Amino acid sequence: MSAAGAAIAPLWRLSMGARAAFLTLIVGALCLMLEPVAPWLIKWPTGWVLPATDWVGAGLSWFLDAIKPFARACSAMLSYPMDWANMALNGTPWPMVIGLVTATGWYLGGLSMAALGFLGLSFVLVSGYWFQSMNTLALVAVSVPLAIIFGGILGILANEIPRVKSALQTLLDVMQTVPTFAYLTPILILFGFGPVVGLIASAIYAAPPMARNVMLGLERVEPEIKEAAIMSGGTRLQQLFQVEIPSASSQIMVGVNQCLMAALSMVIIAAVIGGFNDIGWEVLLTMRKAQFGQALLAGMVIVVFAIVIDRMSGSLAIERQRHDIRIVWAVLGIAGLFTALALLSNSLPNPDDLTLMNPVAQAVDQSLTDFTKTNGAWLDSVKNTAMFYGLLPLRIGLDNAVLPFTWGFSWTMAMSAGLFACAGLAGLLLAWRGRVTAGLMLVILMGMLETGIAELPWPFVLFGVAALGWVASGRRLALISVLLLGTILLAGLWERSLLSLYLSGAAVFACAIVGGVIGLVCAVSPLAWKAVRPVCDMLQTIPLFVFLIPVLMVFQIGEFSAFLAICAYAIVPMIRYTRHGLVETPGDMLEAAVSSGATGWQILRDIRFPYAVPSILLGLNQTILYAFAMLVIAALIGTTGLGQSIYLALGKADVGLGISAGAAMAILAMISDRMVQGFAEERRRALGL
Amino acid sequence: MTSDETPAIACRNLWQVFGEGAKTALGEALARPEATPETAAQALHEAGFMPAVQNASFDVRQGELFVIMGLSGSGKSTLVRCISQLLPGTDGEIRIDGENVMGASKKRLTDLRRNRLGMVFQHFGLFPHMTVAENVAYPLKAKGTGKAERTARAQDVISLVGLDGREGSFPRELSGGQRQRVGIARSLAVNPDIWFLDEPFSALDPLIRRQLQDEFLRIQATLKKSIVFITHDIAEALKLADRIAIMRDGKIVQIGTPTEIVLHPVDDYVREFSKDVAKGQHARVASVMQTDGSTGLGPDDPGLTTSMTLDLALAHCMKLYEPVPVRDATGAIVGTVQPSDLVAALQVEES
Repeated sequence: MSAAGAAIAPLWRLSMGARAAFLTLIVGALCLMLEPVAPWLIKWPTGWVLPATDWVGAGLSWFLDAIKPFARACSAMLSYPMDWANMALNGTPWPMVIGLVTATGWYLGGLSMAALGFLGLSFVLVSGYWFQSMNTLALVAVSVPLAIIFGGILGILANEIPRVKSALQTLLDVMQTVPTFAYLTPILILFGFGPVVGLIASAIYAAPPMARNVMLGLERVEPEIKEAAIMSGGTRLQQLFQVEIPSASSQIMVGVNQCLMAALSMVIIAAVIGGFNDIGWEVLLTMRKAQFGQALLAGMVIVVFAIVIDRMSGSLAIERQRHDIRIVWAVLGIAGLFTALALLSNSLPNPDDLTLMNPVAQAVDQSLTDFTKTNGAWLDSVKNTAMFYGLLPLRIGLDNAVLPFTWGFSWTMAMSAGLFACAGLAGLLLAWRGRVTAGLMLVILMGMLETGIAELPWPFVLFGVAALGWVASGRRLALISVLLLGTILLAGLWERSLLSLYLSGAAVFACAIVGGVIGLVCAVSPLAWKAVRPVCDMLQTIPLFVFLIPVLMVFQIGEFSAFLAICAYAIVPMIRYTRHGLVETPGDMLEAAVSSGATGWQILRDIRFPYAVPSILLGLNQTILYAFAMLVIAALIGTTGLGQSIYLALGKADVGLGISAGAAMAILAMISDRMVQGFAEERRRALGL
Repeated sequence: MTSDETPAIACRNLWQVFGEGAKTALGEALARPEATPETAAQALHEAGFMPAVQNASFDVRQGELFVIMGLSGSGKSTLVRCISQLLPGTDGEIRIDGENVMGASKKRLTDLRRNRLGMVFQHFGLFPHMTVAENVAYPLKAKGTGKAERTARAQDVISLVGLDGREGSFPRELSGGQRQRVGIARSLAVNPDIWFLDEPFSALDPLIRRQLQDEFLRIQATLKKSIVFITHDIAEALKLADRIAIMRDGKIVQIGTPTEIVLHPVDDYVREFSKDVAKGQHARVASVMQTDGSTGLGPDDPGLTTSMTLDLALAHCMKLYEPVPVRDATGAIVGTVQPSDLVAALQVEES
């Protein structure tokens, strides 16, 4: 079968992709054949592992210890503003807080925004989580200004000094791929336990989007506006603060919006390392106690916060006339009056006593129990089917996953041979039809399915990644990828990496198919998009943590739940970008196609789709990054691999393991990011975009 | 130009080369034995540099409206940015009222811009977060002028460009023509002596463009600034200019009055431009009349003057065949014209 390509055409006359695939195939086949005599080809021997994790741990511990006094001083200092924010938010009577949010909503976005604020906060009030919510909000209220100032300064510096810019770009790219939990371990060590850790983690996590948007905004100010500022005789500072920053305000407000959302998300995740009666802690606690009704309720509170904050800060980025300030005063006046009357008559209810939603939560709990009881068999069969016939073979290969107990027969060598023969034949057929690369890829994929992703021989993975990198963007990427993967091998994180790769790969694959189809439907039917769009908006607004609640409720702890949670989060970009790419075909191209007599379907296939490929690839790229981000969070509900290591390291405060596993995760994310970007770039160039 | 008058702008052997290490590369290219600007530019091109302005030399006289015309990519926008020092310039000399500004300190340049220079941009370059009045007053604010004074001054220039009543509007609420009026007002706020206009009317539709050109001429008639005006439109250049410099691929290929450009193009490139121009509307009688008295005078005197366009002159002597006299502004006869010469001058040249 390895002669498939060579039989058709001499090797050197094949396309680059075909050559790469051909060589990869040979390496894979060799590894499989040599397995009996050289088992080290499959499994990296433990004797070859360098104790890099320990070195990293020792080095970092030393460094962290060195700056610890400073860090502790910072955290002591930060605890003051945090206490003030806590006092301010919890000390203000709740009608005033609701009034304030409603008034802000009105000012920013008129009636609908005011209604959103009012209803949202009212829900929080009656949910009985008012105090916890205010605690969370206090954290956000302190961490966001920090992140905005810090990120803003970085962005401006990068704009002024080219060298800072390239360094910051790289740093931001890396930070984007480092999973959230990985930040927490060193911060935990530096700043100790307690709410301040969450505060600092969220400030650090939220600063990059701010810096990125400030940089982007300043860069995008029209050159003529900058020149006009120069010709007006402004000094550099005048140009920057009087002209460029105000001109970039829309983009900067986008940064503020993203900064807020990141901070909120991180504050909630930080509950994992020791909450303090905030809403994230509440979710975690109830989830651990399997009080899913309560967990869902607390999760809803988070979602409500996320939506209110997102929509309000989002409208900052849209330039428009603000609404009548008099109404703001009126709303505040009414809230004040209400508070005063209630206080005077001593009848202001304590928000802790407001447990209107408790019966609802209990009912949800009850009905959920009933639901799982009555549908248990069905749910289990869904889960088991997916596990036994999908995820497991993908993970450990058909040769190990096919057992009499599940499939009804056991896998034999003959079956492997038969599978390879079929794949080889199909590959030959494809090659004969002129699609050599596709034929070779088919054989390679079959081989991978037979072996299982978690058990792929490491020389094959290294070679395959190098080949992909080479085809995607050239020798440089191939070299870097191999070097980075090599460090993972040496550090002894290889198996865990493959496990992570398998789960995120499976999720990305599912997202690509399902999301692609949904995107296609939405592109064809505006009605479908109308229905799907709010769901997408919602899914993108919800902090990652909350995704775990519903899957856990229905499918309990396990890999399948993790898989679903990852899919739910990572599918959104795929849908959006696919639809966007398909819809954004230039009008004159469509008119040319129509006047050539193409049918709607032909236009979709021949015009819209090829034009949309770069956009779809970018969607895929985002999906991959989202999947990696969620993978770590999903470790909370049972995954193996790097995510689990990061989570465990957090529990044991093991910096070495936490950082190494986080770095391995970042490496995987970065390599896939560069590759997909490379392919997208190549497509864009081919289309002359 | 009389020798004792300093030109408003004097540009000598100006180069703007883009690329890492351009200054050294240009120095080396020019230092080669028997190097000419052409060979140097060629060498820079081959080395991967972008010589956007090559060896440009010209003077702009006090109060002159100097137009630089060329196709897109010819380097005209780069040239005006060199003069206004928005780009540093790679080599050469730019004298503004005799003072070399190439390599001048930041402080000195800021000072110049606050008092002597004004610039109008193709896409207006208005500050989106400021009202019309704030936009116009911004150069004064940067300079530190007090609020009352700058408001008054801004009001004056806003009236000058005919935008009374729109002071409180934001740029996004204005039409293209109105926006450029704001741009013009802002560039005039500090009452500069030297005025740069980079394709100011190119982004406007034809009717508005004509209207603004006329107003621009009206404003210039009262203010008498020294102007560098960039355009890619030959008709606009001929209509506005005292003198025109034509640029091609980074080089100035011809400098002359509109008549000279139309009647005596130096090469096919310039001829190509003037081909579509109705010469009769731009060339003057003075350019075709005989002053040596070699032709005798005919019996008719249709009253031609030196500053008449050829079209108008022709209309005056449609039925005449004998040479006719030409008078200057004072009415003295300064030369003669053979009517057939008028017709001949209008013919498009064979190329």
